[in-house]
Amino acid sequence: MMDSLPIPWNRYGIIAELACRLKGASPQFGKTALQKSVYLLQALYGVDCGYDFSLYAYGPFCSDLLGDLDTTGTLGGVQVHALGWGLDGYQIEPGPRSDAIREKAKAFLDNGTVQDSLTRLREDFGRFPAKDLELRSTIVYADRDLGRNGDQPSRDELARTVQQIKPRFSPKSIDAAIAELEGKGFLSFGG
Amino acid sequence: MSSKTYEIRDPIHGFVVLSDWERDIVNHPVFQRLRRIRQLGWTDMVYPGAMHTRFEHSLGVMHVATRMFDEIVTRRHDFLKSELSFTDGGLEKDRTLVRLSALLHDLGHPPFSHAAEELMPRETPESKPYRHENYSAAAVQLLMRDVIENHPLNENYGLKARDIADFLNGRGSLGRCLLWRDLIASQLDADRADYLLRDSHHIGVAYGRYDLSRLLVTLTVAIDPDTDSPKLAVEEGGLHAAEALILARYLMFTQVYFQHTRRAYDHHLARTVQELLCNTETNATPGGNGTFPPPTDRGNVEQYLAWTDWRVLGAVEAGGGGEHGGILRARTHHRRVYETREIPHEEDLTFAERVRQALAEEVAFVDTAKDSFYKFDGADIPILRHPDTATERLESLSRLSAVVKGLKPVSQTRIYVPYGRREEARRIVEDLEREREALE
Repeated sequence: MMDSLPIPWNRYGIIAELACRLKGASPQFGKTALQKSVYLLQALYGVDCGYDFSLYAYGPFCSDLLGDLDTTGTLGGVQVHALGWGLDGYQIEPGPRSDAIREKAKAFLDNGTVQDSLTRLREDFGRFPAKDLELRSTIVYADRDLGRNGDQPSRDELARTVQQIKPRFSPKSIDAAIAELEGKGFLSFGG
Repeated sequence: MSSKTYEIRDPIHGFVVLSDWERDIVNHPVFQRLRRIRQLGWTDMVYPGAMHTRFEHSLGVMHVATRMFDEIVTRRHDFLKSELSFTDGGLEKDRTLVRLSALLHDLGHPPFSHAAEELMPRETPESKPYRHENYSAAAVQLLMRDVIENHPLNENYGLKARDIADFLNGRGSLGRCLLWRDLIASQLDADRADYLLRDSHHIGVAYGRYDLSRLLVTLTVAIDPDTDSPKLAVEEGGLHAAEALILARYLMFTQVYFQHTRRAYDHHLARTVQELLCNTETNATPGGNGTFPPPTDRGNVEQYLAWTDWRVLGAVEAGGGGEHGGILRARTHHRRVYETREIPHEEDLTFAERVRQALAEEVAFVDTAKDSFYKFDGADIPILRHPDTATERLESLSRLSAVVKGLKPVSQTRIYVPYGRREEARRIVEDLEREREALE
C-alpha cells in the first residue's frame, strides 16, 4: 500500500514559498518570473522541484508549472492578481492558505539546502524583471545544453547561440549577462 | 528539383499531400510501425470506435503544422524578416524542418501510446525518465538518417537528421528556428489541433470539435514587449476560435482522456507490458526491472521499436502478462470507488487521504490527473489585439475571455480497488461520507 496520496505538495509548497520570498524583491513576480525562477532554482542550485523544462524562443518553459500555479491558487496557497495589461499582466502573491500549503511541504521546504538555495536565488536574481530573467535562464539552458556531451562551449560560442535564439537582444546585453553569470560562478569557460 | 506529389485520403483534412522524399520516409519500416500503435490505447473498451493509430495522426500533424506555418509566413512575412532576421531561403528550409519534425514527432511511442510510457527508464537514478520524444529523436538520428539526408530533394536544404532530433528535443543549437517549436509543442500546436478533431471523429463524440479554419487564418507571430521574445499568437478576430479550442481540450479531457474506466485500462496495460518486459519468454533481452531499453544506441532503439500493440496483444492472447494480462482478457478491470471533485479544495484532498487509509490494503491504485499525459492545466493563448495598427499589443486569452478565465485546471484524484472487492470498498466509503456529512 502506498504511504500517502500522490499529491504534489512539494510543488505547491515551492510556488507558495517563492511568492512569499520574492514579494517586495521582484519588480513583478508574474508567470514569466515564476517559470524562470523555478528553472534557475533547479538548474543552478540543484533543488529538484520535479519540473521538466524545454527550450522555446521565449526561454525555458514547463507547462506543468503553469498548471500547478493555478492549482496552488485554487488551494489558496497563492493569489494571482491581474495587473495592468500585456501578456503577463499578473502578480503572484501569498494566498490566504499560504502557511497551510507550505506546512504540507514542510519536510521539503525546511531542508537546509533548499532554504539556502531560496535565499541565494532571491539575492542573485530576485530583483530582475521578467525580460532579464528570461535572458539569463536562456543563457544557462543553452550553456548546459551545448555542454551536455562533455564539450563545454566557449564564451563566444555561447553568446552566438543565445543571439540566435534571442535576436532582439543586443550582443552587448548578452555579453554582459554572460559575464555576470560567470562572475557569480554559474558559468565557466576554459582558457 | 521538381517533385511528384502523392495524396493520401484523410478523414479529417481531406487529402494529405506528400513529396517523393516524404513518401520514402513514410515507407520506412520505423514509420510504418506507427500503423501498429493505437492512438488511444484501450479507449475502445469505453468508446468502441477508438481504433485509429499514430500513423494517420502523424500525417495529420504534418498537414496542420504546414498550414499553420504557411499562414503565419504569408501574414507576417515582412515582420519575420525585419524584426527577427529570417531570410526567404531560411524560411523555406524551416518549412521543411517543421514538416518532417511534425511527421516524425510520434515515432517513439511505446505500445498503446501513452499507457506504457511510465515504463521508460532513467539515465541515472536521479534523472527524470526518458519520454517518447527522446525515443522519436533517437530513432530519427540512429535509424532514419539515410532516408532523411540522402534524398535528391534535400540537396537544396542540406537538412540533417540531427536538426529534426534537436527540434523534437528543444535544443539550444536550433537558434531562431526555436520559434517554430510552438507549432509542435505548445497550447496552439498542430499535435493538439489534429488529435482533438481526429479522436472526436473516431470515437463519435463532438466534444473535441472547434473551428480549425478560423484559427488558421488568424494565426500570427508577435513580440511580447515585456520580454522582447517572439510568441505564436492568435489575432483577436480568432479569439472565439481560440476559446473553442480550450473548451474542446477541457471537454475531451474530462469526457474521454481522463474517463475513469479508460484510466483503469491504462493501468492494467502498463502493468501487463511491465510483466512482459520482465519475462524472458516474451522479451529476449530483458532489462530485468520491467523497463524499456534506454534510447542510447542503435541496438537499444531497435529493441524498443520491436515492441508494438501486435506483440503485446499476441502475448496477452497466449496467456502472458501475468495478473493484469488476465484482467485484460477477462475485462475484470479495477473499479473506481472514490474520486475527489475535478477541482478539489484542501479538505477534499484531506478526506481522500482518509478514504485511502480506511481502505488500506484494498487500494489497487490511485490515479491523479497530474499523472495523465493528457492534462487540462493552466491553458492560455496569446491574443494579438489591434493587429497592424500603432496600438498592436499581446494580451492573454484568459484576460479577454470570461469563459477561459473561469476554467481551472483539473486535478482530480481517484481511488481504485480490485473488481472482487468493489462492493465492500464502496460500503466503507459510504460510511466515511456519512460520517463527514454528520460533522458538517
